[in-house]
Amino acid sequence: MILQTVFDAGVSIEYYVMLASILFGIGVLGVLIRKNAIILLMCIELMLNAANLLLVAFSTYYGKADAQIFVFFIMVVAAAEATVGLSILVMAYRNLRTVDISLFNKLKG
Amino acid sequence: MDALIILFASGILTMFISLLKKPVLSLITASAGLFIAGSLLVLNFDHPLNFIKYEGLIFDSASVLFSLTIVVFTLLLTLSGYAYFSKEKDHTGDYMALMLFSATGALCMVSFSDLFMFFIGLEILSIPVYVLAGTKKKDLRSTEASIKYFFTGAFATGVLLFGIAMIYGATGTFKIAEIEAFINTNDTLPSFLHVGILLMLASFLFKVGAVPFHFWSPDVYEGSPSVMTGYMAAVVKFAGFIAFFKLFSVAFGGASDYWAPILIVVAIASMFLGNLSAIQQTQFKRLIAYSSITHVGYALLAILSFNSLLNVQSLWIYLFSYGFSIVVLLSVSMLIKQEDDSIASLKGLARKYPFIGFVAILALLSMAGIPPLFGFFGKYMVFSRAFGAYPMLVIIAIINSGIGIYYYLRTIIVMLSENDQESMIKTPHVLHYLVLSICAIALMVGGFVFV
Repeated sequence: MILQTVFDAGVSIEYYVMLASILFGIGVLGVLIRKNAIILLMCIELMLNAANLLLVAFSTYYGKADAQIFVFFIMVVAAAEATVGLSILVMAYRNLRTVDISLFNKLKG
Repeated sequence: MDALIILFASGILTMFISLLKKPVLSLITASAGLFIAGSLLVLNFDHPLNFIKYEGLIFDSASVLFSLTIVVFTLLLTLSGYAYFSKEKDHTGDYMALMLFSATGALCMVSFSDLFMFFIGLEILSIPVYVLAGTKKKDLRSTEASIKYFFTGAFATGVLLFGIAMIYGATGTFKIAEIEAFINTNDTLPSFLHVGILLMLASFLFKVGAVPFHFWSPDVYEGSPSVMTGYMAAVVKFAGFIAFFKLFSVAFGGASDYWAPILIVVAIASMFLGNLSAIQQTQFKRLIAYSSITHVGYALLAILSFNSLLNVQSLWIYLFSYGFSIVVLLSVSMLIKQEDDSIASLKGLARKYPFIGFVAILALLSMAGIPPLFGFFGKYMVFSRAFGAYPMLVIIAIINSGIGIYYYLRTIIVMLSENDQESMIKTPHVLHYLVLSICAIALMVGGFVFV
């Protein structure tokens, strides 16, 4: 509803697409250049949330609810993924005493 | 639908049985669940059950066939992985339950009819595998494999999701059939759709491990426990390719002018890079990882030369035969004692355990595509189907098959040669013999039964 009024007020869909793309770009850049695994996890969440924003914006644009329901599921999946990721990181921290991913370099060739 | 529910329910049951700390009971529950699911799929093959009010998952005879393939491979890997799983008595059932949950996701991935269910299936498939890759908790390599797999997988998920959002923005629907109709009726396609297809293509190439997004797969394959490597190479790749086919060859088929050139380059690069790297490998699982990159290149030929159902049949036969070889080779890899599984430690396998050596050689020859074996038929069907549209690509693929024979034969020679040192091979479990005999029969007669 809020988005609908915003659309009525004249904010066109392009701005939402731009915002979502910028957020997504920040997420991708973060994954590519940062070394701390926790930050990586945050950047991946940012990517997922950029997609959420885009879906909600398009959903309002088309006047359909299906994408908004999809967003709820994405949130659940993102939470599950973060849980698994953090537990893997805890395991790694116990073994190596670090979460710097550039130090995970036992496998090569 | 019935198989989906049975798999999920038996996964939960296995988790509870796991509390008894009796590995055998967990094995019986998990394999009984898989067996019942498989038999229900066979029984209802012609008239599969569907959800009454929900159309996100549609089980037709094709998707029942794919589901059956997934169930068969999961069952074989559960059986042959039992010796590994039961080393940790407290968690045997948990591992098997995670495998069952992951197989449930794979079932969703081969029978989806909208992008929503596809995404949920992909995540149900992937998340348990992230955990299972790291099940050797004290082993640094397993931890590293788990972390690498998790981050590449989660990154690919993010890219995929943004692609789905873009496609929704262009078409206003998640349904595969409506997207296909949209692409076929509109002459000029919106640029959102192109961006969305590109992003989805990138994430698919990540998931199946094709060049240039292959860098994670050798590390992950090497570090993970052998049974999970087998699961990734056989089931995850199978489900990924079927979903790839359903989306690109069917739904985005009308826009193939846009994505086909990219895929041609990717296929050629995958074949050459996989083969040329595989030649240099000394580790057995790394060899399999690089050869699987090559096999991804061959399977992309089937995606490229889309024309309806005949293609999905050839793709299925190819991946089916490949899966049996993978199950055999990774079961053999489970038998190697030392931590780093070099090819040299397979020395004398065929002399010490003639039957296991024989099946392993069959699997390698089948992967190389030697005629009477199952793998040859898969390759032949994919190549002959693709020849009409892409003759040059098929010739490149055949050259690469020739290169591939070199390192497969080299491994076979190691297995056949005399071992004068202490043998690195563990005594096989009786379940290994069961799994290997099933695979041997499939590899020998599969080509005549299924083609």
